[in-house]
Amino acid sequence: MKKIVAIIAAVAIVAFSTVTAFAAGLNASEQSVLSNMRSPANMKGNSVYVPASYINQAESYFNTIDMTADQAGRINGLISQGRSFLEGTGKASVSELTSAEKQTLLGYASAAAGVLKMSAAAGSDKSKVKIISKSGSVVVDDSGNVIKATGTESQLLSIVLISVLGGLFVLSSYGLIKGKRM
Amino acid sequence: MKKGKSKKNRKSKKNLKRFAIFPVIICLCMLLFLGAVLAPTAGSLISIGSMFMSDKQVDYSKSYDNIFIPTDNESDTIDASEVEFPGINKQFGELRIKNRAVDAKLFFGDSSIPLRNGVGVYAGSFIPGYGRTILVAGHNNTFFNGLKNVKKGDTVEINTSYGNYSYKVTGTKLTTDTDKKAYDLTAEKENLVMYTCYPFDTLGLTNKRFFVYADKVSGPEITGLYE
Repeated sequence: MKKIVAIIAAVAIVAFSTVTAFAAGLNASEQSVLSNMRSPANMKGNSVYVPASYINQAESYFNTIDMTADQAGRINGLISQGRSFLEGTGKASVSELTSAEKQTLLGYASAAAGVLKMSAAAGSDKSKVKIISKSGSVVVDDSGNVIKATGTESQLLSIVLISVLGGLFVLSSYGLIKGKRM
Repeated sequence: MKKGKSKKNRKSKKNLKRFAIFPVIICLCMLLFLGAVLAPTAGSLISIGSMFMSDKQVDYSKSYDNIFIPTDNESDTIDASEVEFPGINKQFGELRIKNRAVDAKLFFGDSSIPLRNGVGVYAGSFIPGYGRTILVAGHNNTFFNGLKNVKKGDTVEINTSYGNYSYKVTGTKLTTDTDKKAYDLTAEKENLVMYTCYPFDTLGLTNKRFFVYADKVSGPEITGLYE
């Protein structure tokens, strides 16, 4: 009997250890949130969409969690409220919103993130959003451009070059002063 | 005697000016200049400096998680339940272009950690096999310097824990970092877009980017994503 229990336990351990930490896949709840995010807001006749970069980042994140129907319902409610708020501002685009209006909009995003125990923060111009998980890892980061600066490592070379040029300038100006005096 | 003493005093004052005050002023000016011009990117300098100055041993290889385990999976499809979706800043694969000096660790996310250690997939794009756009960034003077050698028809290989992919280069483009037509994050077809700063050996910041485009040739398609 003991042997059988041991074998079952061993099989169970192996089986559970092969299950991946975050298996990809989107359940119905996650799909409904993504679908809601893709619906445009009507701002003075203009259809305003959530940028694809946000939706894609959300989709990637949803691939790492399992959202419940209750969470999806609450998030969808907040998205709809945010959309209604945008439409009610009477502005034609997001860039026309005042700082206070952007703050209100961020409040909806923050509340939606809070449903998944995450927090949202705005960038310096309040049009960029960063969502951080409870553990402190970045989930959505739209505080930068899609295309990044990919030459920053060369800054070290720039510093060396500027220092060398500066040194040469100091030496030459010292030589000039000395030359004038002579 | 007095005349000689005052002459000596004047000379020592001059020497003080020449050899102490003047260099100090120049040094301060240089520091102010460097501070003002390079303040936004001083982080990299500080981290490099701390590498030499700190008594703590800095191990950059441990500054990220690695979920990449090579596989020889050659099937055409793989179920989503078998794919571990990478979190931000995790290494989940390798990217190489043979004979073109491109061979790098592949990360999800394109912040400083991925770009210091390899190349990174923009989190607003997707992983290989997802059937969407894969937008990969890399530094021009390190891991993506070899993009300058890439030619149409070259093969890009991406190895992940869930499958091995190959893409065929279809073209290149030189444009600016604000050109939104350089990529399409809404595309429903799997396409690989790699980019780096241009010119390839440029010093300092530039708004020019060199893009390389490639289409999927082989590798398992992730199925069952939408339950």
